[in-house]
Amino acid sequence: MIPIEYWLILSSLLFAIGAYGVLSRKNAIVVLMSIEIMLNAANINLVAFSRYHTILHPLAEKDATGQVFALFSIAIAAAEVAVGLAILLSVYRRYKTIEVDKINILRW
Amino acid sequence: MKAGYLRGLAVLALALLFIGAVLSVQWPKGDVSQDDTVTNRDVGRAMFGESGASGYGLIMLFIGVLLLVALLGGIFLAKEEKEDEI
Repeated sequence: MIPIEYWLILSSLLFAIGAYGVLSRKNAIVVLMSIEIMLNAANINLVAFSRYHTILHPLAEKDATGQVFALFSIAIAAAEVAVGLAILLSVYRRYKTIEVDKINILRW
Repeated sequence: MKAGYLRGLAVLALALLFIGAVLSVQWPKGDVSQDDTVTNRDVGRAMFGESGASGYGLIMLFIGVLLLVALLGGIFLAKEEKEDEI
């Protein structure tokens, strides 16, 4: 038996790991990957609560809204990564580095 | 180096805060890993609905447009500039 708390704790830990990556790493690609980890933590929450709702209300119709929201979240994450990587590529061409400490102006 | 420790401590405090908040709630008993699983069929029903305008079909359409725009934006940003265009 896996109670809901375990999923929430797993998601909290994943979020914290992602936040640490965003705060401490200098490589922009690693920062993007850390943001993805944080988004996946949110997805775990969505799916876990959806399942929990279904289990707590067994007579009601199965509700997969949380799973659908997780799918939307994955799609938006894909769009975000596509644009993020393209920006990084452009930044690398301009500055020859993707270290976030060294990219300190918003001018091209 | 000290800043790294501070960041680590801040993130640890955040994680402990989350875990403390989760554990302080009296959750009703329910096994999330129970076997009467939600199937793809249920996800499809939730996404497109049983009939008419129910479900999230329109939102999925918007997400498709968002992905297309992101793709085009990504291509535009990643496009290599020629020397004479600068």
